[in-house]
Amino acid sequence: MSRSPSPRPGGWSSPGLNTPYDTGGRTSPYPNGGSQNVTWASAQARSAEVKGYSGFQPRNQGFFSKHFRRISTSLPFSAEKEKTDRGRYQSNRVVQILNRVWRTILRRQRSFGLLLVIILSIVIFYVTPLHRAYRRSSFLGGGNKFVVILAANQGGGVMEWKGPREWAIERDSVKNKKKYTRKWGYELEIVDMSTKKRYAHEWRESWEKVDTIRNAMRKYPHAEWFWWLDTNTFIMEPTYSLQSHIFNHLKDITYRDINHYNPLNISHPPADEYLDPETRSAVGDGKSNSINLIIPQDCGGFNLGSFFVRRSVWTDRLLDIWWDPVGYEQKHMEWEHKEQDALEYMYTNQPWIRSHVAFINQRKVNSFPPGACGDGKDANIHYQEKDRDFLVNMAGCEWGRDCWAEMYNYRQLSNRLNRNPWEKFKDGISDTIKRRKESKKKDEKNKDKKGKQ
Amino acid sequence: MHFAMPPRKTSRPPPYAARQSRGFGIPPALRNILRDRSRGLVVLILGFFTLFWLLGGMSGGERSAVKNTIVGSGAPVVIVTTIDPTADLRWVERIKKNREDYAKKHGYATFFPSTADYPLKKSPPSWAKVPALRHAMTLNPTSQFFWYLDSTALIANPSISLQSHILDKSRLEKLMIVNEPVVPPDSVIKTFGNLKGDRIDVIVSQDKEGLCVNSLFVKQGEWAKYFLDAWFDPIYRSYNFQKAEAHALEHIVQWHGTILAKLALVPQDLFNSYVTGPASPKNGQYKDGDLIASFPGCDKEKRDCAEEMEPTLAKLEGKDKD
Repeated sequence: MSRSPSPRPGGWSSPGLNTPYDTGGRTSPYPNGGSQNVTWASAQARSAEVKGYSGFQPRNQGFFSKHFRRISTSLPFSAEKEKTDRGRYQSNRVVQILNRVWRTILRRQRSFGLLLVIILSIVIFYVTPLHRAYRRSSFLGGGNKFVVILAANQGGGVMEWKGPREWAIERDSVKNKKKYTRKWGYELEIVDMSTKKRYAHEWRESWEKVDTIRNAMRKYPHAEWFWWLDTNTFIMEPTYSLQSHIFNHLKDITYRDINHYNPLNISHPPADEYLDPETRSAVGDGKSNSINLIIPQDCGGFNLGSFFVRRSVWTDRLLDIWWDPVGYEQKHMEWEHKEQDALEYMYTNQPWIRSHVAFINQRKVNSFPPGACGDGKDANIHYQEKDRDFLVNMAGCEWGRDCWAEMYNYRQLSNRLNRNPWEKFKDGISDTIKRRKESKKKDEKNKDKKGKQ
Repeated sequence: MHFAMPPRKTSRPPPYAARQSRGFGIPPALRNILRDRSRGLVVLILGFFTLFWLLGGMSGGERSAVKNTIVGSGAPVVIVTTIDPTADLRWVERIKKNREDYAKKHGYATFFPSTADYPLKKSPPSWAKVPALRHAMTLNPTSQFFWYLDSTALIANPSISLQSHILDKSRLEKLMIVNEPVVPPDSVIKTFGNLKGDRIDVIVSQDKEGLCVNSLFVKQGEWAKYFLDAWFDPIYRSYNFQKAEAHALEHIVQWHGTILAKLALVPQDLFNSYVTGPASPKNGQYKDGDLIASFPGCDKEKRDCAEEMEPTLAKLEGKDKD
């Protein structure tokens, strides 16, 4: 008998790890007399050695290839069968039912696989951050076509010092937008709007909107739409995507003809005979792809607290002409809202602008809280909880209103409106308990009162 | 029972596999799918929807509210001259004829609006050229170039064609003066260096004092609307620019890159030679054979255009009769 130390199908066991093989103090895996240690594999290997077929290994000899089927069919229940009679008797019915379910699942392997794929893809696409990736991608979600420009630090800087409240407002506002843009795969550009005297022309102070939008366009060369947001805004419904809320039905949601709602009383369309038909048309060319600027109007005219601008040559021109030294020199005392007033002026006086501007209902993107534009009764302007408005702009809250309180209240409201079912369920239970406690207390009080009487 | 050998094939195989069904054949892969009736139904419905979707995507364009026109199918150039309604009628007729003859020769169009046609309010009548250009574009939506030629200028050499003289892409690229101060002698804003001839939308010249507005080309398009409307802004019109629209033009060209980037500066004698006035010292003076003989400012104050132009006009008209 040769004892060549060649590896067997069972393989060498390393010395010291597997004591039974080391009984004879040898390193050979096959001790002569150790019959108590004979396993099936070693016996087979031994006979193979005798036959001289050591290289040959029939199929289905491995443990897994032999038993895989049986394991897979009976895995959860094989343990159950080993149980004592008593246990088996008690769980028999349940086991039978479970077994039957398992069998039917196996029998319908195909539909089961489909179900598995669905569940797996839900996990992959919604639970993991992958959904951000596909919502961003240009061919699936298109999220990278949108950039949110958030103006932070407005009015701060050399002119004013920020207090803890201002910091808190800013933190809340930024957090809100970060969460929203992450959810939908948009870009978020937070810009510092603090008043710095950094222009060569000192008089250009605080007209940075144009430069900021231009910088953002340069920074995100693949983005199409840029959404400007002031600090004092809060996205109430983060479940609305910009695509489904606005851009998928741009033509229906916006209005080109300003006569639809015209607080500034701008005469539209331009009547001068020398203008071309497109400029003289009330709706431009009427196509949604010619819209390059979307502005909401509040009670006093255009509102640039929340507006959209699209990358286009037209926009380049608008951003270029928006600030002009002659206009600034003549009008900067009169134009206290800066870019906003300048835009109103240009819209009124330069007909080329009109055919590419569309307006959007204020409450679609820029609802006001009570206190701005009246005390909350205007159904065109003020936030309505029952309609689940998209965004609140606490415009003008720094002039005599409490910005922080407003921001806090709207944040709480937004959280409450957007609870998930589980949270709603929990809150419902705690509410009912509270109510019961209160009613009990009342009862007790009533009793006390009665007793005293 | 078993056979030792597989059965023999026929020794005369058919040249091609026999077709199983008549009519148009269904590819085997599809036939396999269609084997089952319910499956076939599903495939049919899906296919229908896909077709619907594809067709919908193709014809998904929205209808335009205004009629589309093709720029370039009309007269290649429209000559625009604004006429002062108080001017001498005989002289006006001769000016008009000067342009009409030239236009007829080369297949161009002409347009002679009155300065009183446009809502200038209190601003000087010379501003009328801006809305006049826009008006000409409205009336000739198929033309490409619009040449504003002031009534103080005469076309002195009608044999020159504008395309080969200035407007052709390669010709224009050769003519463009690059890196030249927009306002002489030392404006910090200089004309761009790397412009393509077919991307130019406005062609101007420069005399001794600055950009000339008595002869300029504007190309039809969205940019032209922007340029003309921005130029015509009431703020500029009411602002006390010393030379009205000429200074307003210099202002917007220097402050707004989207305008400068579309502007070509060409030598003055190409289409704006001065007979009298502050000609560019390099190439502004009128000489025989130049396209234009201009008498800038002859309509101002005590001067009389008709009188100043008389010798040149008479010579031109005499030539035509020959």
